[in-house]
Amino acid sequence: MSNAKAELKPDREYFPASRPWKEENGEVRLIGMRCAVCGTHAFPAKDICHECGDEKGVEPALLSPTGTLYSFSEVHAKMKGFPSPYVVGYVDLENNVRVFGQVEHTAAELKVDEPVRIVLGPVKSNADGVPVISYKFRKR
Amino acid sequence: MTNSAYISGVAMTRFGKQPDRTIEQLGREALLKALKDAGIERRDVDEVFCGSLFGGTLIGQRILRDLGMTRIPITNVENACSSSSAALREACAAIAVGRAETVLVIGIDQLTRLGGGTIPLEKTDIEVNLGFAMPALYAMRARRYMHETGATSQHLAMVAAKAHEAGALNPYAQFQNRITAEEVLASRMIADPLTLYMCCPTGDGAAAAVVTTHKRAAARGKPVRVAASTLQSGLYKTGFRDMATSELTVRTSKLAYEAAGIGPEDIDVAEIHDAFTSAEMMYYESLGFCGKGGALGMVERGDTKIDGAKPVNPSGGLLCRGHPVGATGVAQICEAVWQLRGEAGKHQVKGAKVALTHCTGGGISGLDHGACAVHILTT
Repeated sequence: MSNAKAELKPDREYFPASRPWKEENGEVRLIGMRCAVCGTHAFPAKDICHECGDEKGVEPALLSPTGTLYSFSEVHAKMKGFPSPYVVGYVDLENNVRVFGQVEHTAAELKVDEPVRIVLGPVKSNADGVPVISYKFRKR
Repeated sequence: MTNSAYISGVAMTRFGKQPDRTIEQLGREALLKALKDAGIERRDVDEVFCGSLFGGTLIGQRILRDLGMTRIPITNVENACSSSSAALREACAAIAVGRAETVLVIGIDQLTRLGGGTIPLEKTDIEVNLGFAMPALYAMRARRYMHETGATSQHLAMVAAKAHEAGALNPYAQFQNRITAEEVLASRMIADPLTLYMCCPTGDGAAAAVVTTHKRAAARGKPVRVAASTLQSGLYKTGFRDMATSELTVRTSKLAYEAAGIGPEDIDVAEIHDAFTSAEMMYYESLGFCGKGGALGMVERGDTKIDGAKPVNPSGGLLCRGHPVGATGVAQICEAVWQLRGEAGKHQVKGAKVALTHCTGGGISGLDHGACAVHILTT
């Protein structure tokens, strides 16, 4: 990926542009949602609870900074804007939230059920070759 | 009292890269051959359902207008890779309620129009924007399945070799070359553990079926009855999901077995959704052909070869016959009908009387698959 810093317009530097995460005390937590009515947590946040249907009690919630890597794969197929290869996985956070994202390290360095934490870093390049930052996972 | 639906005609084009033909030409070839197989004329068709993912707006009408077959009700159906299976279900429903006596079902896609690469997914999807693609999804499933059952890449490769063994006997298959498990393992990595030959190809093609009443199908001869036509959509989960089992396939096939009044042990031949060889193994279990982890033994013993105890994908499957996504559902039906009529030639399963087809569709975040359609056909 290109290291070009160019003039980064804020809405193209991050994905999602809403930057649903909070960094504090050296930890990165995703901002998901919690339903006050039934207690369901989910990511990304939305304006309705899919479990109980409630729309009024849904509120933003900070999710756990760590989780477990349920499965992963090293993608060698060429995908526009993505490095080759790159590793993706599904991570199970606390409160029954599963998140998809890229994983640092090669597949050879990882195992199923690996304990991981959330970090921020480049996930792809946009059309101008400028890196886009988002959440990803790293071994802890 | 509802009318049972019968299939009186089936046909397909060869599957493969055919960029020099128009999508309308592909559709015409399949449907005209199907009408001929059913022994009917264009004017005998009461309704049409056309399944396609990338065919573009009004694909059914664009295929039928040059044949003078418009004016009748035409409905275009999209359910990702299950599009034409879902279209078939609509046709069966039209027969069941008695609003039509002869319904044409078409499945079609021309993936060479997309310029190659993985299937394009929904641009607004958060996972797609972080690098999600169908091969990666199946690869993550495969890794978890291997972790839980002890399956190895060797098993995945053996399934591919079996597919090619069958495809070599199918004149409609995209690939007709036999390959060894070693060659499968040595092919380039797509998304580990899936190598190129463990993944279905992209291509173009069309398939068509004529669905009708018992009276008309019996008049043609060798009628095939649709004993079950079941469709379900994926269960939405934002948390833990067991990716080594397909809940959607378990649920859909249970409904199909109940509707047909049979169990998985009664299936003589099956055409299932082997977009990737790891999926085929998982689906043996999810369809109830064996218990959890039982697919390993089935593969090792060759149970699912054409002459095995439980033949699966005698056509070569999506892997070898090809997967022009919208066309696959009806192509599976073509194979099932040929098997039940005893017309499958070199890839005939002896004494096939009950066939199952299984077709899943697409990926959007939070769902196992968007859709799953299971059909059970009998003589």
